[in-house]
Amino acid sequence: MMKKYSPAKWMIALSILVVVFSIISLSAGAVWITPKEIILSLLGSSEGGNKFILENYRIPRTILSILIGSGLAVSGAIFQGVLGNPLASPDVIGITKGAGLAAAIVLVLFPKAPVVTLPIAALAGAAIVAILIYLFSFRRGARPAVIALVGVALGAICNAAIQYLMVKNPIGINVALVWLSGSLWGKSMVEVLMLLPWVIVFLPIAFLISDKLDVLSLGDDVATSLGENVKVLRILLLILAVILTGSSVAISGTIGFVGLLAPHMARRIVGAKHKFLLPTSAMLGAILILVSDSIGKGLFVPIEIPTGIVTSVIGAPYFLYLLIKK
Amino acid sequence: MRFLQKEKSKDNLSFRLMIVVISLVVLFLGIAVSLYIGSRNISLQAVIKAIFIEDGSKDNLIIRTIRLPRVVMSICIGANLAVAGVLMQGITRNPLASPQVFGINSGASFLVVAATVIFPSVTNYSLVYFAFIGTALSGGLVYFMGSVGGMTPVKLALAGMAIHFLLSSFTQGMILINENSLDKIMHWMAGSVSGGTWDSVSVILPWTVLGLFIAFLLASSMTILDLGEEIAKGLGQKTELIRMIAGIVVIMLAGASVSVAGPIGFIGLIVPHIVKYFVGTDYRLRIPFCILFGSILLVCADVVSRFIAYPFESPVGIVTAAIGGPFFLYLAQRKRGTKE
Repeated sequence: MMKKYSPAKWMIALSILVVVFSIISLSAGAVWITPKEIILSLLGSSEGGNKFILENYRIPRTILSILIGSGLAVSGAIFQGVLGNPLASPDVIGITKGAGLAAAIVLVLFPKAPVVTLPIAALAGAAIVAILIYLFSFRRGARPAVIALVGVALGAICNAAIQYLMVKNPIGINVALVWLSGSLWGKSMVEVLMLLPWVIVFLPIAFLISDKLDVLSLGDDVATSLGENVKVLRILLLILAVILTGSSVAISGTIGFVGLLAPHMARRIVGAKHKFLLPTSAMLGAILILVSDSIGKGLFVPIEIPTGIVTSVIGAPYFLYLLIKK
Repeated sequence: MRFLQKEKSKDNLSFRLMIVVISLVVLFLGIAVSLYIGSRNISLQAVIKAIFIEDGSKDNLIIRTIRLPRVVMSICIGANLAVAGVLMQGITRNPLASPQVFGINSGASFLVVAATVIFPSVTNYSLVYFAFIGTALSGGLVYFMGSVGGMTPVKLALAGMAIHFLLSSFTQGMILINENSLDKIMHWMAGSVSGGTWDSVSVILPWTVLGLFIAFLLASSMTILDLGEEIAKGLGQKTELIRMIAGIVVIMLAGASVSVAGPIGFIGLIVPHIVKYFVGTDYRLRIPFCILFGSILLVCADVVSRFIAYPFESPVGIVTAAIGGPFFLYLAQRKRGTKE
């Protein structure tokens, strides 16, 4: 339907869009900064009083939006590819909830722990849930339906545990609540530097091995006869996806639906080839978060709506549409 | 052959009687423990006396105004949720259907939180109606989404979860914007019977009685519905009508429960399965047993909830989730043989 343009053209168009929405994201907020001022400021002009806001608040936030969006989206694309299930995504199968639980434990029980422990804990939580899903479903054939249901069940258990923590420790509840609904509020360059290495290392790896996902999608038998060690490959790819999700979620909190939506949108415009699918998903994911975050911080000034809530409001209807269409 | 069958059914009867007796004993023990345990030590004698006689002493007052309504509420809600669950599983012919998986809990919570935020002076009596609307909307939406192109457990679970995500993020947004009532709402959101008063009992009781009564009337039709759409129609059942009435009953039972106690999860999922294991598929037996087992589960869970973080109380929803989550996991795994 939309495939009349080549993937390359789409990707160029999307990267332009990423730039445009980045500028909008820099402008939007409690203080509206004109795009002209932003560009001048980026080019090094010291005019205008908003330089401080830009450098300390807006720029880190915009960079984070792009990193997190692309991380979540690529992770979702890998999940969907490996599991062969278009409904799989880190949040649907409970991985994000695992990261959320681990982060809630740190935030609520050890409020004095250094900031660095949060991403590590979130990663560990994501990994534990992933392993549990593996244990519960993969052992017996890993049907997509079983994975989805096991993931939903594990997500529900993690959710109960999160609620328990929050009710037990009402002091940390507000921080935890903001974190759990996924927000980029108050993030600085520190968080950017924490996330950047993960994304810079693992995103290109994902792009490089994207053709392996195509091989996997042919089915285990064909993949094996093409000389792939399917089991190892699958585990490696899933580890990659869990790392990308875990590190993103660790910074932003549980931002939902991006990992589910971006790959679907990407598939509609560039087709199912993972060589194009992964980068396109990354850009669409970045755009989704940029837009959601701009809406969240710019629409109801001075109230700020957590980014994750905006993505859910945009994402859930589309998800339901997908379900109906099937 | 006939002799054997007779023997078997007789066996079944005494078996069922035994279950009834045992579960009544358990329920009674649960109620007794629930009345007996609390932050103030009250002797068993005083507890028993307080149930029947009002003498105005402090202990008497505690039992009569705090502990007793709480137990009554647990019984009502446990029964409500279990029967709502069994009806939903019947309507959808889907073993995973339950107030939580269907997104009904989050729908009701969403409207209840919205109502308390927008109209802070709203009374419990009118909150019920908001909960009904929320239940009907989210339940209807999930039913519709999940049944397009043939309903499967997976689709239902995913549709329910999407609605749950959507509504709970709305709810979270509202809570975040209105921080003053945060603590109370959070406790309520996790599902709790600890704040139960005679007031909340009087909110829920009429709906419980009415809902359960209609559920009993529906029982034989539901059993036939379980045989399949075609057979039920062939036997002269108005399947659409039965489904609709059962749906309304579900809304009454689940909505009323959520409005007073918050979203208590998993009871509606677990209890019908346990009951089915014991008494089979006949709804004339399943519904009363669901009432019994549901009450037992919630009364006992409520007792447990007072101990997991002693001396502080935890919301009972956390206990039911701790039991129900693994059970859900077991069901999900077991369902691996079903079609996708």
